Formats: sequence, C-alpha cells, structure tokens
Amino acid sequence: MLSSRPILEINNLSIDFRTKDGAERKVLENFNLRLYEGQRIAVVGESGSGKTVMASSILRLLPEAHSSGEILFKGENLMVATSRRVSEIRGAEIGMTFQDPLSSLNPIMTIGDQVSEVLRIRGVSKKEASDRTVVLLQELGIEDAPNRLNSYPYEFSGGMRQRVLLAMSVIASPSILIADEPTTALDVRVQAQVMATINQFTSKRNLATIFISHDLSVVAGFADYVVVMYAGRVVEEGPVDEIFYRPAHPYTRGLLDSIPSIDQSSEKRLNSIPGVTPEPGHRSSGCVFRDRCDSAQETCSAKAPELLTTGEKHLVRCHFPLLPLSTSRNMG
Amino acid sequence: MSDISYLEAIEVSKVFGRKSRSKIAVDGVSLSVKAGDSIGIVGESGSGKSTMARMLVGLLSPNKGLIAFNGEDVTQLRGKHKSDFRKDVQMVFQDPYASLNPRMKIFDQLAEGPRLYQLYDGELRLKDAIEELFMSVGMSVEHLNRYPREFSGGQRQRICIARALAVQPRILICDEPVSSLDVSIQAQILNLLKDKVSELNLTLIFVAHDLAVVKYLCSSMAVMERGKIVEHGDSNSIFGNPIHGYTKSLLKAIPTPNPIAERERLSLAKVQ
Amino acid sequence: MLDKSKISSQWGRLSWFEKGCFVGVISVIVLAVVGPWIAPHDPYFVDLDKSLLPPSSEHWFGTDVDGRDILSRLLFGARSTLLAPLGVIVFAASVGTVIGTIAALNPGVVDELIMRLCDVGLAFPALVLSIGLASALGPSLRSAIIALALTWWPGYARLVRSLVLEVTHKEFIESAKVLGVPRRKIVFRHILPNALNAMYVQTTIDVSAVILVISGLSFIGAGAQPPSSEWGAMVTSGRDYMLTGWWTVVVPGIAISLTAMLFNLSGDALRVLNDPTLKQSRG
Repeated sequence: MLSSRPILEINNLSIDFRTKDGAERKVLENFNLRLYEGQRIAVVGESGSGKTVMASSILRLLPEAHSSGEILFKGENLMVATSRRVSEIRGAEIGMTFQDPLSSLNPIMTIGDQVSEVLRIRGVSKKEASDRTVVLLQELGIEDAPNRLNSYPYEFSGGMRQRVLLAMSVIASPSILIADEPTTALDVRVQAQVMATINQFTSKRNLATIFISHDLSVVAGFADYVVVMYAGRVVEEGPVDEIFYRPAHPYTRGLLDSIPSIDQSSEKRLNSIPGVTPEPGHRSSGCVFRDRCDSAQETCSAKAPELLTTGEKHLVRCHFPLLPLSTSRNMG
Repeated sequence: MSDISYLEAIEVSKVFGRKSRSKIAVDGVSLSVKAGDSIGIVGESGSGKSTMARMLVGLLSPNKGLIAFNGEDVTQLRGKHKSDFRKDVQMVFQDPYASLNPRMKIFDQLAEGPRLYQLYDGELRLKDAIEELFMSVGMSVEHLNRYPREFSGGQRQRICIARALAVQPRILICDEPVSSLDVSIQAQILNLLKDKVSELNLTLIFVAHDLAVVKYLCSSMAVMERGKIVEHGDSNSIFGNPIHGYTKSLLKAIPTPNPIAERERLSLAKVQ
Repeated sequence: MLDKSKISSQWGRLSWFEKGCFVGVISVIVLAVVGPWIAPHDPYFVDLDKSLLPPSSEHWFGTDVDGRDILSRLLFGARSTLLAPLGVIVFAASVGTVIGTIAALNPGVVDELIMRLCDVGLAFPALVLSIGLASALGPSLRSAIIALALTWWPGYARLVRSLVLEVTHKEFIESAKVLGVPRRKIVFRHILPNALNAMYVQTTIDVSAVILVISGLSFIGAGAQPPSSEWGAMVTSGRDYMLTGWWTVVVPGIAISLTAMLFNLSGDALRVLNDPTLKQSRG
C-alpha cells in the first residue's frame, strides 16, 4: 500500500528564536516525521506545542528562525535548497493552507485571479488557468463557480474563503498538502462541510496530507496517523485508532478526557489537566510535561524520556507510559 | 418562593445599522430565566446569541420588547433598583485579553465592585474577602499585586470570574468564556464554573457555539438561528431527541474523538 | 501617565543610538534651563570691535556682526526656542484631548459637529495663518505661538478621539459598566489612562515639528524678531553675512536641526518602549 520511501522526511528538526538580548527560545526540539505517498498525518497540540512552527518551516516560511536538522522532500534537502528552488516547490509540489482565510487572501484581488495566479506564474495561459480554476472551485463545492470568479474575498463566507485557499494550494497539483488549522475559525456545520471537502479531494488524488490542529475530534475521522506535540516535543505518535482508543501518554489521555462529550451525562466530571500550557521556548529539566502530570515521579524531573515503541508503529515519550513499552524493539 | 422570573426577555428584537443597511440580530425572542436555572444559549456566528447576552445583562437595549428583572423593565430602573440589578447580574466575557484593564492592578480590579456596593466593613475585611475569593478560583494571593499582562489566557479568565463573583451576584451570564482557550485549560475553567455555580447557588446563562460544553454546564438549552430561538428545552432531551431541523443539523456536524464513528460520518458526508 | 513599569523593563531593548537620543534631549532641556547662568558672555552687549570673529577659544562659535558671542546667544535663546513649541504642544494636547474625548463619548450629533470643526482646523495651513496673524498683530514670537496653537489642536482631537473609541469597545470597559461603575469613574479610571498612553508619545514627536515651524517662521520674519536670540531669528540675522561669517548661520541652523532630530528620534523610541509589540524601526 505505502511505497517504501517516504515522500517527506523530517530528521532532527530543531528550531529556536533568538531574542535581542541573545536569549534562545527553543520552540521545536528534535522533531522527526515520515510522510508516505497518500498518507494523512495529523499533528495535534495546544499553544506552545510547536506544531505551527514546524509546519511553516517545511516551506521555509520563517526566515528569522534558527533551524537545524534536515527536511527531505523526495530526497532533496529543503533546508539547504536555494530560495529559488523553494519558490518553485511552494504551491507546485507542496501546497499549504492557513488558518485565517480572511487575512490569507488579498482583499483587492478577485478570487478567480488569486487562484489562477498560481498557474499563471508557472507559464500557464490565462484561458487555461481560468478554466482549471472553475473546474477546481466547483469540485471544492463552490457553486456557480464561473460567475464567482470575479468576486472579492469579502463577498464570501468563511467556509467559502477556506475553499478558495484550498484551491490555491492544490491547483498546481502538488504531491503534499499542508493544512494548518483549516477549520479552526469556522462554525461547526461549515467545519463539517469543509472537512468533507478536504477528505473527498485528498482521497481522490491520493494526496499526502499533513493536517495541523488543536482539536483532536476534527482529525479523528480524517487522519491515518497522529502526532501529539507538547512544548516543542513529540510526546506520542501512532496510528489514529491507537492514539484515540489506546493512548499511552498521560497528556494524550488528559486531552481526550478534557473534551466534553455529547453522550456523557452532565453528572460525570470533566477530567482536566491541571496547570498552564507552557510558553513557547520554555525549558525544563527532565520531562516537559512533569509539572502537570498526575503520575510524575522523581525520575521525571531528573531525566528527559526518549521516544520509545509501545505497539505497532506506536511511539511514546514517557517514563511511566499508560501502556507497556515493547522491550524487544527498544534494545539497540 | 414566588415563581416570578428573575430575568426575562419579552419579545425582544435588536437591529444594528440604519435603514437599508440594517441587520436584525435578534428577532422577537422570548426567554425566561428563573432562580436556580442553568440555561445555555447555543448558536453559530450570526445567530444573535451574544446580542441576547448583552441585552440580558443590560449593556444593550432592545429596539422592541423589553428585558425584565424581577418584573421591572431594565431600562426604566432607577436608583436602588438599578444598582441592585447591576450587582445581581454579572458577566464573564469571551476575550480574556481584552477583559482586564491593562493599567490597573489585579487587586484593584477585583475590589472595584465590592467598594462600589460597600459590601465590606473596612478595607481589611475587603482584603481578606478578595484574597479568599482569589484562592477559591485557583489563583495565588501574591498575584493580586500584579498586572494583567503577566498572566495567561486561562489565568485571566479565572481573574474575570473572580471579579464577577466579587459583588456576590445572583445571576452569572457567560459569553463564550472558554472559546479562546486551549482545550486542556477549557476543561479547568468549565469545572471552575460548574463548582462555583453549585457552591454559590447561582443562576447561570451560558452562551456558546459548542453544544457539548453547554450540555456539560446547563440543564436546559435554547438553540438560536438567525435571531430566533428554534428549539428550547431540557438539554438531555434536545440531545437525545432533537426536533427542529437546524438543531439536528448542528448535532450531526459535531465531531467526536471517535475515529470509527468519524470515518463513517465523513464517508457519508456529501460535498456541497 | 506613561506606564513607568513597562518603560523601565523595556529600556534594555533600546540600541545605544536610541539611548543616546534620550540623553541628548535631556541635555538640551537642561541647557535651556541653566543656559543663562553658564553663558560665558553677555548675549546683548554690542561690541563692534569684535564683529564677525571666527570660532576661537574665547568665542567657541565665533561672534555675529554686532560682536555678540554666538554661544552665549545660543544658550539664552534655547529657552525661547524650546518654550515656544512646548507652549504650543501643551495647549494643543490639552484642548485636543478634552475635545477629542467629548467627541468619542458622545456619538451622533456632538461627534459630527466636533469632527467637522476639526476638519476646518486641519484644512487651515498653519503657515498662512501665522503670516496672516503676523501682519495683523505685528510679527512676534507670541503671534507665531498663537497661530500654531490654533491650528495644531484639531490633530490631537482626532487622535485622542480614535484612541478613546478604540478603548471604549474593549471588554474591560463593558465589564466596568456591568459592575455598575458610574460613568465618570469609567472615563477617568479606565478609559483615559489606557487611551492617552499613545498620545504622550505623539507629543514628543510633535515637539520636533513645532521647533522647525517656529524657527522657520522666525526665519522669514513672521515670528521672533531680531535682536531676539531665538535660534530661527539668529539664522535670519546672520543671513546677510553668510559668506564672511558662516558660523552666524550654520551654528544656530545645526542647533535647530539637531534638537528637532533628537526629539523626533526619542519620540519614536518612546513609542517602541511603550508598546513592546511594535517592531523597532532600527535593528
């Protein structure tokens, strides 16, 4: 099913920001990821988790950050690629959508022009670009697309704008789509529609997707594989069913418990994780989660845990995970 | 006790803008809240729920209809009746970053209300009461001497809740107080509200777009769509057996942390 | 007042250049205050034997055509050169703040009326009015100050109005209303301290603009008149002797531009200090 080589490989990516007085704020530490053709990976985390910084750095959108590690796209290291090469890749080979469609769209350009532009700057003729734009917008659920080409972003609702953004990011047929919180700013029914659109579109084209979200429920039906982040580190990752039904990290368990469910009765108390989400760049010795963890012990302050295997492709970074570690895999 | 409603909206309408460019935010809504109720007002953006909240708390006046507090029109209240209303009905707002005065110490912001209503005998008693209240919302006393900018979103909401509770209100109206908070913090604040409402025997009006959150806190619920209440009743019944089409479509759209169910939902969904 | 705690914590963010500007501004103000006492010579004493002497150890900046020491004239003139703009700004800021606040808090007819009035004021060219007043009342520093004060306040009214409007819509103001805080207290305790923060910064930057305008007016004869040692007047009285005694023009000219620049840059740095979210314009 999955071809042997990953289409995107991130190795030991670390990102820090230097402030004026020389202080270093490490917002991402030793991040690793393997994305295969057609695979859908969800990266979830709260504020300060580093998920957005990670996504933005794949396409080198953070010039002021100090990054180390490598990002291999089809074998090519994007970290050392020329800016010209990165421009070529953006849109055509790796597409990205952003959270707030209103500020991500040019308010004084028609949506037809904005979507077509992606093709036009690659030499496609005006007519052909326009035709392909219409077809794509219709596929993404914008009715009456031919007549709406001349509309401006402000004339569209939030869900429509998000679809326009999506169109811009996929019209040049990239091999990877990075969706950064595409449904966060939307009402719940629109969110469901946009998710359905993304689902159908990416399935049809077998498009490898990285879906960033702070909302676990939104990605539950979409993702194949989930990466849970906290304070710049991956604390757990694995196949979607494993993460949701058999979480191994106390944080993941806590997050799942924090979600008010529509079928539980209101008598049952919501289990909240105590404490505060850490500031980006917050440093601590030992495990990053120990301040808020119910099962924290002395080892947790002394030593930072490694990411170790606990099941089939299921990794967890914890000294006392909720599921036993597979000892055989972790030796050597 | 008498069965008179505490707070009641009687056929209220609210319109924004002028003549041709006007927008009807709330359209002939009636809602009655009795002592001890915990009622949620749910809707998507544009439903008018925030406008309802602001009318109920007296920040906005309806164009038609009236808001009644203990049987009297809120806009006609004067003197002691007016200050009773203000004291008894408090609000927690959505944006924790805009809800606190950046130039004023936390203690002073909490003390402003009690000082106004002279709830305590002397500054010393006031200080003790504020400290106790502050700790009861999960904050530490030394934070009282600081400024809002040093606190996170969740901490600020705790401060805002404390400020609202400081004047010993009877009714607490919350306008999407957890929407801008991280998931793990949301649960903390929801639990805090749940505890305080039961501890202080408060009447709660909770406005939100998240139905599950409303169900957790409120025993009854009103669903709003485009300025009107389309369904109203016991929370469990509405969830178990929604009647109105809009309510049904809302419930159907809520994602759950259940991959098997979600995959099925996605495969059944049509792109429109 | 300005948020002192925030400012002291942000001081370290300033570059050396910016810190130097602040020091410079304070030095100028100090010199203006103590100038008359430390001036080495009498700025008014005419001594034609010493006419147009070049800079020397006795006369650091040389002398003018009437034999008066330039340095001493500079030190004496600092007061009028700085006090005049200060007067204009204080008037404009105070009147503007009051009017702007009234406009912001009374939307509708009152607001519209005030804004139209400001539009008229802003449409009026300050220089034309100054020259007009100069010819009507006779040119003097006083007429220049009056003209500028009258044309400067609408800008502040507009600024304060938008600052107040911005704050009024914040939730902490709504919260104060819900608490039952009386309107007056809301305005003075909650709205104004937050809104006026940004205005103080604007005043510093404006001082530099007014310095230039007043000196300019004095230069063209519509402001301070010779033998005033106001710096603009100094430039104009030295004009005829530029070739034989360049220091009579260049020295006061540099003093004017340097002071204006120091105020401007300090105001800019103050803006950044005040609002840590702003990116600094220099590195």
